[in-house]
Amino acid sequence: MGFIMDGLDAEAYDREYKDRQLLARIIRYFKPHLSIMSTIAAMIVLNSVMDAAFPFLIARSLDQLEGAADLNVTIWQRTAWLIAAILLSGVLSWSFNFFRQKYTARTVGDVVLKLRQDAFDAVLARDMSFYDEYSSGKIVSRVTSDTQDFSNVVTLTLNLMSQVLIVTIVVGLLVFINPRLALITLAIAPIVVFVALAFRRIARYTTTQARRVLAEVNANVQESITGISIAKNFRQEQRIYNEFKPVNRQTYRLSLRQGLTFSSIFPILGTIAGIGTALVVYSGGIRVITGTMSAGNLYLFIESINLFWFPLISIASFWSQFQLGLAASERVFALIDAEPRLVQIEDQLAPRLQGRIEFRKLDFRYTVNEKVLEDFNLTIQAGETLALVGHTGAGKSSLGKLVARSYEFQGGQLLIDDQDIRSFNLDSYRGQLGIVPQTPFLFTGTVADNIRYGKPEATDEEVVSVASRVGGGDWLKALPQGLATSVGEEGKGISMGQRQLVALARVLLQNPAVLILDEATASVDPLTETQIQEGLEIVLQDRTAIVIAHRLSTIKSADRIIVLREGQIIEEGNHAALMARGGHYAELYDTYFRHQSLEYIESWRKDSQNIPAD
Amino acid sequence: MQIAPSQSKREFSVADEHVYDRSSPVRWIVSHLLRYPYLLASFLLAATLTNVLFSTVPRLTGLAFDEVLQPEPNTGRLLTIALSILGLVIVRGLLDMTNSWSVETLGQRMERDAREELYISLLGKSQTFHNRQRVGDIMARATNDVRQLNPMMNPGVSLIIESSMGIIAPLVFIAFLRPELLMAPIFFVIAHIFALRRYVRQLNPVAGEQRWRFGEMNAGLTETITGIEVVKSAVQEEQERHKFMGNARQVRDLYVKQGEIEARYLPLLLLGVAITGAFAHGVWLVSRGALSIGELVAYMGLMGILRFPAFISIFTFSLVQMGLAGARRILQLMKEETELDENKAGHTATLRGDIVFDHVTFRLDNDPNALPVLKDISFRATPGETIAIVGQTGSGKTTLTKLVNRTYDVDEGRILIDGIDVRDWNLDSLRSQISTIEQDIFLFSRPIDENIAFSLGQQTDQAAIESAAKAAQAHEFIQSFSKGYKTIVGERGVTLSGGQRQRIAIARALLTDPRILILDDSTSAIDSATEDQIQRAIKRVLEGRTTLLITHRLSQIRWADRILVLDQNEIVDQGTHEELMQRCDLYRRIFAKYD
Repeated sequence: MGFIMDGLDAEAYDREYKDRQLLARIIRYFKPHLSIMSTIAAMIVLNSVMDAAFPFLIARSLDQLEGAADLNVTIWQRTAWLIAAILLSGVLSWSFNFFRQKYTARTVGDVVLKLRQDAFDAVLARDMSFYDEYSSGKIVSRVTSDTQDFSNVVTLTLNLMSQVLIVTIVVGLLVFINPRLALITLAIAPIVVFVALAFRRIARYTTTQARRVLAEVNANVQESITGISIAKNFRQEQRIYNEFKPVNRQTYRLSLRQGLTFSSIFPILGTIAGIGTALVVYSGGIRVITGTMSAGNLYLFIESINLFWFPLISIASFWSQFQLGLAASERVFALIDAEPRLVQIEDQLAPRLQGRIEFRKLDFRYTVNEKVLEDFNLTIQAGETLALVGHTGAGKSSLGKLVARSYEFQGGQLLIDDQDIRSFNLDSYRGQLGIVPQTPFLFTGTVADNIRYGKPEATDEEVVSVASRVGGGDWLKALPQGLATSVGEEGKGISMGQRQLVALARVLLQNPAVLILDEATASVDPLTETQIQEGLEIVLQDRTAIVIAHRLSTIKSADRIIVLREGQIIEEGNHAALMARGGHYAELYDTYFRHQSLEYIESWRKDSQNIPAD
Repeated sequence: MQIAPSQSKREFSVADEHVYDRSSPVRWIVSHLLRYPYLLASFLLAATLTNVLFSTVPRLTGLAFDEVLQPEPNTGRLLTIALSILGLVIVRGLLDMTNSWSVETLGQRMERDAREELYISLLGKSQTFHNRQRVGDIMARATNDVRQLNPMMNPGVSLIIESSMGIIAPLVFIAFLRPELLMAPIFFVIAHIFALRRYVRQLNPVAGEQRWRFGEMNAGLTETITGIEVVKSAVQEEQERHKFMGNARQVRDLYVKQGEIEARYLPLLLLGVAITGAFAHGVWLVSRGALSIGELVAYMGLMGILRFPAFISIFTFSLVQMGLAGARRILQLMKEETELDENKAGHTATLRGDIVFDHVTFRLDNDPNALPVLKDISFRATPGETIAIVGQTGSGKTTLTKLVNRTYDVDEGRILIDGIDVRDWNLDSLRSQISTIEQDIFLFSRPIDENIAFSLGQQTDQAAIESAAKAAQAHEFIQSFSKGYKTIVGERGVTLSGGQRQRIAIARALLTDPRILILDDSTSAIDSATEDQIQRAIKRVLEGRTTLLITHRLSQIRWADRILVLDQNEIVDQGTHEELMQRCDLYRRIFAKYD
């Protein structure tokens, strides 16, 4: 019952496009397959002709039989070639259909592959702002699922073509044979179309409702299962069961309503077709009796009802399904066409960088209204470790993202070794950056694969050497198979802390001139934490580093601390100097960092005895 | 319906529960169907009659042909025949409707009942079972598999009945025309069965592989995009592109292969050949005067009915297969025995909270060859003591705490609580006095006060709830919501931060007042601005009970009465902070950076 179910998932996506442009674009994808497409078209025509020929030939044979009723001897002679033709039409119809399907699968497969390739390339060419705006799930579904749905446009169009052709041929034949009877036969067509469309509307309504209650009962089960230990601990099973039962009944009622709607459509349409048959048997029969039509043609009329009422339903529902396919292709094309936001002025290969970074009167905003940095000035010396602190939204991560060339700034200059950042070839520049994101990301593969990710040509010795430099290498012993330990989807089977260690080793192997590190905020066990801190010390050596700091020990060992508020540097200096000032930094320290200090840890020992109950 | 689920092993049951036969998937489905005998009967009867009437129509059109071809045709009789057809299709429509509605109702009820059955069964399972089972797994069965039951009935089973009737009924009618006319259709039915089997055997592996490969492509792309920052900073776009295109190309190849197999669907060709054969046979009989033209027309009409089963059979079998597989998985889950013995006759007493681990070794899944998760663990916690457990992820900390309330049983050694082996305790008595605050704190989608007072059922004492919330440092933030204690939280309510959820769980534990508390505090974010409050709340909940504390907070480790240092599944040292600072290298290394 796909013709009714499809299209109900339609969501109100942004839909500003001209159908014509879209179609032209789709056709461009099929251009390389022009000859095979014409073969498919020819196959469709031939297939339809053969399908219509089948009842027609039988009708003609019946006429021969009727005429030959008294001349037994000649029946075979008069029908043998017709029977041969019937067999041939059956075999040919199947063969034409075989080639049509085979070639269609090949063409659609190729076009979807090309579209996926274009979509994938487009995705990779985007800067980071794109990935921040759209969830990865949505991007993936555009590249894989929407391209698949797009292929529906093709299959649907081809099906429509063949159905329209069959209906046209059959109707043409009927009109040619007997126009008035053809008119009577066709009287059922508008009814079939009307009923099919009316059902769509009802189905849409009941389906939406049924989906909603189904989601509700699933949510209820999910919650009960997730919270079962609490329910069991406190012996409250009966209570959650009492809540589940009415939800389940409600789901049943609404799903049943939907189900009954769907299961009514075929009986009703079948009955309409049957009424058509009765009508044709009578009014056609009269014509045969009065001699205005042959018995064979009566057969043809009766058969034709079966031949075209199903295609009629499909044709009636074509447009909405077609629109869906178009919408899918629109989403894919929108992805491919999105403008890159990075502005490059030259494409120089970057030499080995010293790592001096200068923000000069820089303006930056994510959206038109959301100013992040304005007239921002900062110079970071080569080899310096700079810690950035400040509340969320102060602009800490923006600085890193600008240096990483993930985002484009709007005014001022950003100089790397006194040269405009926009003049460097992107790949050669980025190749000298090391980035450690807040949540370390691991690819499926082994720990060694992940360390080697940024430098695929690295030898095993190199990998072992960097891995054992990070955190004294103790962490490798805790991995079940050391460097060969495989990490699954998003680094399962390896702890959060170990992932951070892998990310550090990866960057160390890359040996970047500039390091941008967003420290993780998740706490890890104290032993691993110690290893991470030791690892960091090694990674931060001998290069410029911009650290968005969350750990007191990192801040303390930084050459300089920058305190940011609303895109402005409000304080800078080292830990001791800033604490002595008693300003904004001291405040931040009290809120976020104090509890990591030894004083705090020790003070709890003494104070804990005297804490009031509330 | 003879086997009742073993009542003794269940922790929850419902008074008016219907009992189904769970001995095999088919029997289970049948016992579900037999719950509604009238619906079942009305479905089977209506389905049969519908198909009989379906085959009657060609017979009547045949009669109409004979009538109009007579030397002296009678329009009155023709009208009668036409009206009979009309009446027939209307009755057929009504029967068909009855058939569809019955089977649809059956399917929907089955889905509803199965969901309820599964739900009750899950509530009746022990905590051990639920700890072992992944939530995602159970959910997949409770949602997808249960959902499969309805389409399995309608259109699955319903279409199978209809298409077998759609073969049998025309065949019977053909036999009535002339038995020898069965030659062509029987050839078709036999050839069809063989062709279909071959088709399914060719298609299934390719379709399965394609689905799998598509999943791979999706997963790979998701990984690339999730890790895009790393990809870009390491300039590895080419490597990712290569990976993606490799998958996409394989998907394409399998798609094309599947398209070719589908294009080769033989039954339709066989039907074309069979109909031609039937027609030739009919013509031959007509030429010998053994068959009238009208009967030939009826014959052709009956042959045409076979088109539907030929077309649809591929679709129906897979639906039924899927439904059966779903039923099997649901049954598997419901039949899973809980290993645990509740030990009703065991020791029952008020706990003091004295815990002794005596040379405890534990392996996962009772597998003697597996490496132990815990090796020779011995320590003692006296009533009221706080024991901090320190060790790397994977060193066995969480497992250790799960042995205390018998979520798992030890393999070697023993655990004593108040001097009595945990296996000798009445399970209920033991568990009700041990509370666990886990890493991920679960809150139900209901008001905060109900979550705090969950253990008290419906009788909520507002004053007690508030005083617990105050002690847990939760009162302040609860008040800051516009609806206060009536704020709905959880998945379908206000989202609370980890620290806030933790404090609500602490309030809940304060109301329950267990003698032994297991607190897993390892998910805290390091720069939590409410650190002081959380520390206070935790300190408060530890008072007066024995606590095993898994923590990443150095301050908590510092003020614990004793610290166990776990490394690679063994206790490498235990003692107070001062003792460990003196003698344990590993421990000293942690604190070294603070000097």
